Amino acid sequence: MPELTIDGRKVEVAPGTNVIEAARKLAIDVPYYCYHPALTPVGSCRMCQVEILDPGKPPRVTIACRTEATNGLNVSTTGKDCVAARAATLEFLLANHPLDCPICDKAGECDLQNFTYKHGNGAGRFSEPKREKLKHELIGDHILLDQERCILCTRCVRFMGEYAKSASLVVAGRGDRNVIAIFPGEPIRSNYEGNLADICPVGALTLKEFRFKSRVWDLDSEESVCTGCDRGCSVLLDTKRNKLLRVRPRVNLQVNGHFMCDQGRFGLLDAMNPVAREELGWVKGARVAAEQAAHALATTLAAERGKWLVLLSARMTGEELLLAKAALGPLAKQLAYVPTPAVGGDEQLFTGRRAPNEKALSLLGIAALDEAAAAKALAEPATAGLLAFDAALAARLVAGAKGKRLALVDVARDFDPAQGKAPCGAELFVPGTLASEKDGTFINVGAIAQRARRAQRWPQGTVPEHALLLQIAAAGGVSVAALTLKPDLTFALLEELGQPGAMLGQLPDDGLKLAAPAAVATA
Amino acid sequence: METYLSTEFARSGPLLLDEARAKGRWKVAQKVFESMTPEQVVDEVKNAGLRGRGGAWFPTGIKWSFMPKEPLKGPSYLVINADEGEPGTFKDRQIMEKDPHLLLEGIAIGSFAIRAETAFLYIRGEYKAAHDALALAIAECERAGILGDAAMGTKKKMRIVLHRGAGAYICGEETALLNSLEGRRGEPRPKPPFPAVWGAFGRPTSVNNVETLANVPAIVERGAAWFKARGTAQAPGNLLFGISGAVEKPGCYELPLGTTARELVEKHAGGVKGGGKMRAFIPGGASTGFLPPDKLDVAMDPESLRKEGTMLGTGGIIVIPEEISVVDAARVFSRFFRHETCGQCSPCREGAAWSDQVIARFQRGEGLASDFALLEDIMRGSKQRTICVFPEAFAGPLGSAIKHFRGEFKHA
Repeated sequence: MPELTIDGRKVEVAPGTNVIEAARKLAIDVPYYCYHPALTPVGSCRMCQVEILDPGKPPRVTIACRTEATNGLNVSTTGKDCVAARAATLEFLLANHPLDCPICDKAGECDLQNFTYKHGNGAGRFSEPKREKLKHELIGDHILLDQERCILCTRCVRFMGEYAKSASLVVAGRGDRNVIAIFPGEPIRSNYEGNLADICPVGALTLKEFRFKSRVWDLDSEESVCTGCDRGCSVLLDTKRNKLLRVRPRVNLQVNGHFMCDQGRFGLLDAMNPVAREELGWVKGARVAAEQAAHALATTLAAERGKWLVLLSARMTGEELLLAKAALGPLAKQLAYVPTPAVGGDEQLFTGRRAPNEKALSLLGIAALDEAAAAKALAEPATAGLLAFDAALAARLVAGAKGKRLALVDVARDFDPAQGKAPCGAELFVPGTLASEKDGTFINVGAIAQRARRAQRWPQGTVPEHALLLQIAAAGGVSVAALTLKPDLTFALLEELGQPGAMLGQLPDDGLKLAAPAAVATA
Repeated sequence: METYLSTEFARSGPLLLDEARAKGRWKVAQKVFESMTPEQVVDEVKNAGLRGRGGAWFPTGIKWSFMPKEPLKGPSYLVINADEGEPGTFKDRQIMEKDPHLLLEGIAIGSFAIRAETAFLYIRGEYKAAHDALALAIAECERAGILGDAAMGTKKKMRIVLHRGAGAYICGEETALLNSLEGRRGEPRPKPPFPAVWGAFGRPTSVNNVETLANVPAIVERGAAWFKARGTAQAPGNLLFGISGAVEKPGCYELPLGTTARELVEKHAGGVKGGGKMRAFIPGGASTGFLPPDKLDVAMDPESLRKEGTMLGTGGIIVIPEEISVVDAARVFSRFFRHETCGQCSPCREGAAWSDQVIARFQRGEGLASDFALLEDIMRGSKQRTICVFPEAFAGPLGSAIKHFRGEFKHA
């Protein structure tokens, strides 16, 4: 393991590490634009210049991104030559930059701004006419290109070629006429386009969906998990006044690396901002308060013990599933879930299986019924009805099951109360919550448990699923004290899965890889 | 004066194979392929002290000795840099248009020395006549069995691939040339790895200039001692000096290294055109910058010119007459370099454009006293701060203009 010195402090790093990453280990910031940990370093932006100190020689200014951290290397990030070189690079980059920060979406999280404050000169000397290039051009489904703001770091070009495997961006032109461009008439078509706005260090590539939506410093960010598929990419949910405005990937080398797919990013944005959401409950055709509907559901299940088919959903949190298994197991005729087939996955992150917590369902030993088997179970004469936690599935099953009653707990979107009946025509409807509205654990396809933090508040009056389940248990005389007396439900969940010891707040940021799944009694 | 590079320059078209053979072309390569080892060739070139004529003056034998000695898993390549784009330089063109077999023989010997069976000849796109002469010469050699799977009747393979560039100055930088050859954007590669490790198509590669390789047959034939008898101790041999601009007889003159600029301009090129006065001269291509006429007695060799703060470069002298101001001349070059920077490195992309804008202001009479410090900072912020030495190139004319001719830059 090579040991080197940076600014007088020693650090040991893995062979092959570059000086930027070695400095990061010491919490020394080396600024950079073209470098990105997930892309081939090209060494062209010249922002990461540092000094190599060799005894008896003058300091040698070089770029940190392409300097391997070798044993005995002595690096200075504060020598006057490299400080001057970085300031010069910034003056060059700012020369033709439009300096339109007040109307730029990137302002506040822009590396050109930030590094200028930290490493730049106070004033620029460029007094020539600035170059004029293309502005706010839509180059794909989501990305707007502003060539004037661009500093030509080429991260985007390399990302599309190296990661997205769709070389749709190029550097066109030469010299100061260089621009990032698509091929004529060929916009970006990729499931990874959204990442361009994240990896762009300046405001050259911005998201259509976030354009002029908010200043970034007005956003509240919560760490969460993407529920678009069972990859479970680590994300940040950026909200303003309870509205989700932006979804960004969070670095998690165990799960998603640095990126996330568009299916997740924009799917989540839609899913967590439901339009025309039904916030009230329904009981036998009457629109009532959610609490009333919850009470009706709890008493119905208690009165008709052993008669209802209960189908849980892979969109519920692990804690909800654990509680559902305990509370509903003894009351249901059968407790199961319908596995989701994978459709349209890709080689990078998207699995195509839109069931973020399906792993938790199987690890908890909930029985899997395919849709035909579920229909058959519902059709049995002894089955009074279906309690479902997934409106789409419920709609399909009920359509083919005459005379069966339906109780539904889910978020109902695009709902029109004027039609006079509950979502899916359910006898009992309790409005559910979104994944972004609660704390909980999701277990991805690789058995990595990650916490999702509550980023939005649920509508006033909502009875969230865990409260509903506690109410059902109480009404049905089922004791769930074994779970509720634990430090928290996450602790109980992990204990159930054979890895006790962590509460929700104690899960590592990049998730907890569950050991070989423990044998769990089938519900 | 004995010449060995320019013997055919007076011709109107290329020397064809039959006549070339009658004049001794391919004799040395035949001997090398039949009876020499690569080490012997490398040693001879090393002992002769041959240095690269492309402008960097790196010892050719040493460059060749970096190439793998044992056959690796896969080929090594010789790449010939015929992307002669430095303004004021037209020496390689003469060789290729008039005496293509001299170059091809040098290529064969050079390939042999580095154990390459394939050579890529990357020729400047604008050099149509030179390209056609080479294409014809290569075809002649293939038909005659000089090149091919049994080159010159031996068991060795030798193939020369001709590749035309598309008119970018930067593709004369060896790693940009390699990228361009591979079909990529012509941008210099960060080094290391150097081409001897990771060159064309990821294989060990030696990139050599046309004139350099044209020197090789004579060196192998007549020996290191013969070669070292001309030129200077540190830079032996003859050089093809190109002289252009305001002189009576512009052209390409083969003379020993170390010949003074005055002898070249006044004796060989017939002095300043129309008997006029010289305002400045450029010693070795645009990037070497301007020198005042009182420096005409400088010896034209790498070491002597370095002492004057400039470089020999490609040895292409440009004479600027009294009637042209250095500001105007500097603008010609600043515009050229602004146009030709590949633009990947921020300091070069922006610095070349910015300095051009400042010079343009001086040209319009809108220069400021503070602009000198600004230009110095642009050069300081970009020289040695980029992947290749392009900033050194644009700083050549820029820096020398404000150093030697500051008085011509009128400012408010």
